[in-house]
Amino acid sequence: MSTIFLYNFSGLALFAIGLHGLIRSSHLLRKILAANLMSSGIFLIMIVGAYGPDQALIDPVPHAMVLTGILVSISTTAVALVLVCLVQETTNRALLLQKRKREQRGRTDA
Amino acid sequence: MPDTPFWAVCLVVVPLFFAIICFVRSSLVTFLGPLAAWLNALAGLGMTLSFVHSGPLRYAIGGWQAPLGINFSIDGLSVLLVAMTAVTGLSVSMYAKGYFSLRIGSAGEINRHGHQRAYFWPVWLLLWAALNGLFLSADLFNIYVTLEIIGLAAVVLTALSGKPAARLAAMRYLLVSLLGSCCYLFGVALLYRSYGILDMTALSRLVSPAPLLWVSLALLTTGLLLKTALFPLHFWLPPAHANALAPVSAILSGLVVKASFYLILRLWGEVFAQVLPFAAYVLLGVLGCGAVLWGAVQALLQKRLKMLIAYSTVAQLGYLFIALPLIRLDPGPSAREAVILLIMAHACAKSAMFMAAGSIFLKAGHDRIDDLDGIKEVLPVSSFAFVLAGVSLMGFPPSGGFLGKWLLLGVSLASGQWWWGIMLVIGSLLAAGYVYRIACHLLVFKASFSSRRGSIPPVMEWPAVLLAVLAMILGLLAGYPLGLLEAGCPVPIHACLEVMP
Amino acid sequence: MTDAMGIFDIMLALVLPWLGWRLLASPNLFRAVVLFISLGLLMSLAWVRLHAPDVALAEAAIGAGLTGALFLSALRRLERLRDSERRLDYAEKREEEQNLPPEKRRKSKPVAYVLALFLLSVFLLLLGGALLKTPVAPGRLGPAVAGQMGQSGVQSRVTAVLLNFRGYDTLLEVMVLFLAALGVWSLTRVRQTPQEKVPGPVLATLVRLLVPLMITVAGYLVWIGSSRAGGAFQGGAVLAAAGVLLLLANVTVVRQIPSTLLRWALVLGPLLFLLSAVACMSIGGNLLEYPRQSAGSWILLIESATAVSIGVTLAALYAGGRPHEPAAREAIVDKSADTKVKNGEGA
Repeated sequence: MSTIFLYNFSGLALFAIGLHGLIRSSHLLRKILAANLMSSGIFLIMIVGAYGPDQALIDPVPHAMVLTGILVSISTTAVALVLVCLVQETTNRALLLQKRKREQRGRTDA
Repeated sequence: MPDTPFWAVCLVVVPLFFAIICFVRSSLVTFLGPLAAWLNALAGLGMTLSFVHSGPLRYAIGGWQAPLGINFSIDGLSVLLVAMTAVTGLSVSMYAKGYFSLRIGSAGEINRHGHQRAYFWPVWLLLWAALNGLFLSADLFNIYVTLEIIGLAAVVLTALSGKPAARLAAMRYLLVSLLGSCCYLFGVALLYRSYGILDMTALSRLVSPAPLLWVSLALLTTGLLLKTALFPLHFWLPPAHANALAPVSAILSGLVVKASFYLILRLWGEVFAQVLPFAAYVLLGVLGCGAVLWGAVQALLQKRLKMLIAYSTVAQLGYLFIALPLIRLDPGPSAREAVILLIMAHACAKSAMFMAAGSIFLKAGHDRIDDLDGIKEVLPVSSFAFVLAGVSLMGFPPSGGFLGKWLLLGVSLASGQWWWGIMLVIGSLLAAGYVYRIACHLLVFKASFSSRRGSIPPVMEWPAVLLAVLAMILGLLAGYPLGLLEAGCPVPIHACLEVMP
Repeated sequence: MTDAMGIFDIMLALVLPWLGWRLLASPNLFRAVVLFISLGLLMSLAWVRLHAPDVALAEAAIGAGLTGALFLSALRRLERLRDSERRLDYAEKREEEQNLPPEKRRKSKPVAYVLALFLLSVFLLLLGGALLKTPVAPGRLGPAVAGQMGQSGVQSRVTAVLLNFRGYDTLLEVMVLFLAALGVWSLTRVRQTPQEKVPGPVLATLVRLLVPLMITVAGYLVWIGSSRAGGAFQGGAVLAAAGVLLLLANVTVVRQIPSTLLRWALVLGPLLFLLSAVACMSIGGNLLEYPRQSAGSWILLIESATAVSIGVTLAALYAGGRPHEPAAREAIVDKSADTKVKNGEGA
């Protein structure tokens, strides 16, 4: 029981920190790190749900789901990191601030 | 004659296969991409026809029945959406073929456009496969994987145009999509934790009001609302849809946002309909009203044609959410039928608008609304398609949009909650306003229009007309799709709960 | 023993969120990434404690190792792209201050922020309470899986779920990875490494020793996956690590792999998986319904091909762009056009 409680707490805290970071951080790289933290928290809660004191009774389905989830998150992370580099390349900074102004400029250019 | 499951499998396998082949033999992409589109459309047609005979059914992938394995659940709603994807997808594919050929043929930067074409086709085919998979699947976690493919493919397609604005939009889109998927996954994880099941039909029999159910539903819905871009979570949509390449905009606006709305409709309309309180539906309905007003007002203020269409998407998505409380109120099927009609009509009309806008952009070299006076002289077919699609968005009589709104209006009056009906009318008037604003410029008689480019090939103009006409006469043909819908509401699930321990 | 483990659990469960907080709060991005990698390693300890060895292997290799490598290479690229020679963190802070008007920063932000924080924490408290109150459903699909294990063709239950009971998920998941490679290739081309950069003798020896070992380990992991922890994902990840090592050492052979070969290696797994799924139908079953007697061999075949493709794909993601193709070589204009198009040419 206590193990389950502990890791549930841990997973929830990771999710919360990640969510906070994803919304609050300004640097894109940090936002992506935060999203990874969020998914780690979710994975933790999923695996804790499958946990039991007896190893033979452990439910393998969440394990398979987490394995799939890990690969999904590295795929998205890879694309996101390349996009960050592109954003930096075109705007000279890896931030999404002042979006209004930039869009308006794009609008008048086009 | 192959049966329904065969076509269902084809709908997923064929685009995946062609996506892989398009990537490996990228020189053949001009030929393989459209071929795959035709095959897909054929599979969609075959599925619809055989569904008429077979009726709703389930298909166990790997031979494993529901709780253990992943099942396709083929019912009226999924068949209709698959058919909608097939029609819209085929038209956009034909348009894309012409679009890339034209740009490669004329512009100086052959390499960049060739590169765009080489990656457009495989990514678009993967997206198509994932859309079909999403509509057919009955498994919540499997739907998560298809949602991931859809989101990632949509981001890649958005960024394909290479403009700085498109890159920024794609970045924001990706972050939103990440957040949305995380919320959705968390919701699914919590549902699995408390019910031990991932199959939607089986889940709908097990659910009962419980705190964890509310939390997981809140997470699922938030994730899906982010992806559907319901006001006030719509901030990412207009830049992404407006700055992408023209065929990509048509795909994103016509199909991609529908995927996550379809899921909301499934969850709120069927799976959890018994346990959700009416207040929750009202909340979504109110947000929908906000979307209708805000989207339409923003659309009226835009200076760029594609931005206007993108904001119009925000507004039109609002109607779908206004329909949710009415579905709950309505004892009969008409509100549900109305929302399906609205989805299909919007998919056709919006894709047509973006395709026509793309042709106009290529011809004129810009899309500033104020400077488009008289483009009808040089581009009559596309202008016609644009205005026709706009009229069907407004909800002018024979169109699908009209019939959908009419049915909703009837439900709202019959149930006594007339304020939803008033919102529908206001929304239509505002839509008429922004469509009129463009029509004024497009259709004005003016002798000269300096065009930047030579002729736009017919393969780029006629798909838009076809879709616009389809959206327009959908109201007359509504009997056929709605008949399909009635054929398959509740799906019988065999031996689902017996296998459970 | 149990007490020691209990204390270990408590420490681990507390350290994980603390590390997460530290890494997001750290002003230095490099430090944040290093903390992220150590967080991943600690996570894999947690997986071991929760009896999830498969996940532990995958987390250590993919979640910590490869994701960390991706972040580090992105960070290096960002720093190189930055015009000034300042460190990233200072520059970032300075720009932040420049871009936000000070009065706006003081007035409007905190109110919305505190409100959002409040709502978020209320929701999380509710979530936590609901998690505590609601018991986990007994058994869930575990017994159903255990009951059908005899039919699955493998002994490891996780592998059975991944490749047999829910093989369709894995098929789509392999497609996600393929899509990621497509996406990265469509966005950029691989960055030029200076030719004169020759690996030092230590690195070269290390590569020569480690790479064959890693390939062997990858093969072993795929093979053992049918009965114990391991499988295509873990094997592929080790293979990818070998690829990353080769890329780091700047071995010329790796850079000169013909693009066609690379493309075929990328799609080998997805294509074979898809074709086997359809082949099952032509034998008379449903999609992905392997013949019961030979299910084990089918799974091993699919796993081997998938592992190769996962390895190549992850290494390609690390390389971070499409390779230079001879056909596209003549267009050097392309690159400048890619970045400098400012107008609405691509509508």
